[in-house]
Amino acid sequence: MTLVRTCWRMLLTLLKELADENAYQRHLAAHGVPHSAEQWRKFSDERLLGRFVRPRCC
Amino acid sequence: MRKLLGHLLWAAVSMTAAFALAGIALNRGEPVNSVWLVVAAVCTYLVGFRFYARFIGARVMGLNNDRATPAERLRNGHDFEPTNKWILFGHHFAAIAGPGPLVGPVLAAQFGYLPGTLWIIIGAVLGGCVQDFMILFASMRRDGKSLGQMAREEIGKVGGVVALVTVMCIMIILLAVIALVFVNALKGSPWGTFTIACTMPIAVFMGLYLRYWRPGKVLEVSLLGFILVVLAIIGGQWVSQSPTLAPLFTLSGPALAVAVIIYGFFASALPVWLLLAPRDYLSTFVKLGVVFLLAIGILLVRPQLQLPALTRFADGTGPIFAGKIFPFCFITIACGAISGFHSLISSGTTPKMIAREWHAWPVGYGAMALESFVAIMAMIAACSLQPGVYFAVNSPAGIVGQSPQSATATISAWGYPVTPLDMEELARQVGEQTLFFRTGGAPSLALGMAHIFASSAGRGLLGFWYHFAIMFEALFILTIVDAGTRVGRFMLQDLLGHVWKPMGRTSWMPSVILTSAGIVLAWGYFLYQGVLDPLGGINSLWPLFGIANQLLAAVALCLATTILVKMHGARYMWITCLPLVWLIAATFTAGYQKIFSPEPRIGFLSQAAELEAAMRAGSVSNLAETSRLIFNARLDAVVCGLFLILVTAILADSMRVWYGILTGRREARSLEAPFVMTQLKAEEI
Repeated sequence: MTLVRTCWRMLLTLLKELADENAYQRHLAAHGVPHSAEQWRKFSDERLLGRFVRPRCC
Repeated sequence: MRKLLGHLLWAAVSMTAAFALAGIALNRGEPVNSVWLVVAAVCTYLVGFRFYARFIGARVMGLNNDRATPAERLRNGHDFEPTNKWILFGHHFAAIAGPGPLVGPVLAAQFGYLPGTLWIIIGAVLGGCVQDFMILFASMRRDGKSLGQMAREEIGKVGGVVALVTVMCIMIILLAVIALVFVNALKGSPWGTFTIACTMPIAVFMGLYLRYWRPGKVLEVSLLGFILVVLAIIGGQWVSQSPTLAPLFTLSGPALAVAVIIYGFFASALPVWLLLAPRDYLSTFVKLGVVFLLAIGILLVRPQLQLPALTRFADGTGPIFAGKIFPFCFITIACGAISGFHSLISSGTTPKMIAREWHAWPVGYGAMALESFVAIMAMIAACSLQPGVYFAVNSPAGIVGQSPQSATATISAWGYPVTPLDMEELARQVGEQTLFFRTGGAPSLALGMAHIFASSAGRGLLGFWYHFAIMFEALFILTIVDAGTRVGRFMLQDLLGHVWKPMGRTSWMPSVILTSAGIVLAWGYFLYQGVLDPLGGINSLWPLFGIANQLLAAVALCLATTILVKMHGARYMWITCLPLVWLIAATFTAGYQKIFSPEPRIGFLSQAAELEAAMRAGSVSNLAETSRLIFNARLDAVVCGLFLILVTAILADSMRVWYGILTGRREARSLEAPFVMTQLKAEEI
């Protein structure tokens, strides 16, 4: 049961990492600000700017 | 006792790998079950991972968990962030897995299942995984620097410039060839075209939802987007049966090509959050989910391989692409065995997120082994089709004849029986008007996947699963087309910024429009050329892409060898020289043959000469089209030649550096960041 729980937690963390949700939480913690639409847009713009200048794999 | 048990276990895994590999290699005549391929692959990856990769990590790289990684030293909460190794493994795998490992094996299956399978397994264990692991290690020890930066610093200015130009050229060919796969998958398919057309407003809806209505809820909106896409697939069946709507979504190859080119332009010029980002999130989740489902499906269904170990096309007369097993099998399957593009990912985001040095072992080597397994699954899906069906779907009309009767007669005469009725029935089952001449690999892969999914979850749903698989492939491809166009635009802006400063400003609209149009037209030209090619386009463009991708791998391996020579002299050079020598042999032979082969289906120049002779003899009806084909064949020869020259330059430059260091004429200066003791606690990762 513990193994299933650990795997589920791991999967959820992976999905949140892929979805940038974890990175957003880190961004909020690093800047000491609460979640808001404006903060998300600021974070997302910076994040996406970095992501879409790198070549994609085939 | 535990140690002995461990030794016995690994001996058993090694023996199983050897037994399964021998089984698939030596078996002739009897049908082989796909489980043999799965067992051979998994056991070989495990042995490679446990022994070879560990040896490289411990003895060659000297990985040290006490050494602080860039993620810790340069931590900024964005790019540099120590991350759990399994999370990073998933992240890295999602980044390296593209359509390449799915399409390449399907095309190479024309030789039979054996050559491609052996290349995927052996190529990955000794080449692809080693390349990814080495470049990840090199970047991790150099503050997460990119391949281009490292090539410039470790080899020299020539190496750096060549790496950048090579990446740019490969991007253009890559975008053209995968867009061609997309076009060939959707032409004449109202169901597929409707589904993919729906993904555009769905992506825009997701973008607006995420930006204004529920900011930050990426998982939530991705789930919503997935439900909408599934509804679009179901709606697609209704559209394909509607006499009014079906003609609107039944598009020809050229019309689809123009649509993709226009889409690429807008995707590059529009704000990223509106279209690219939501599609990217959705595509990543669908990709991981489908790969996982396919693995489960194969284990549940355990399909028999219908294609033989070796087909008659080992002699180079294949209908899908011309050329013998050596070198063409080894450039057709790039991703899945060894892919130069991976070195860009291994020197991109991943090295900035590694928490402990030893995590590079599962992330660098292990993720590539998993991608190689995806290629094995694609090979199984393709080879589980009846050979006649496989060739009827993948052969161009220019080879097998324009009508279903002539195509099936030609294919049956090759020894792979198939009838027009078989093909008609199959097309009806999957809701398509026809499955003939659907070159590019995507439709046959979708057929194979649909059979596997339908066999494990209801045979009546074959049409749904086929279009689900097509949607998965198309979504995948469009994500690379739109993101790649944008990346190409940035590269071009960067380049033009040196000529005239305002052109380098990424937010200046005239520059955005001009450079987006420039990149779109560059790959769009090759795409359109492929769509109009009477031999299906894949015959010319896929080998060009394979050569380019493998040459980028050669650049990465040159860099890795240079680093090894600086660290250990000649002692461990063989680790990267072994795959490098093989790649150089395969790609240079393929490149030479693609340019100079006297066989017109292989050599670009002889193809141009043959067309020119036909024009002079007056046996050509459309002079303008033939002139264009001649020009295209010569252009392809020039592009291929350019790739070979670029890589010869970097190889010569690298050899100059190796020679200098090994003879003591040059200082073996390490450019690694200095050692800093880690302060990272286990609970932080």
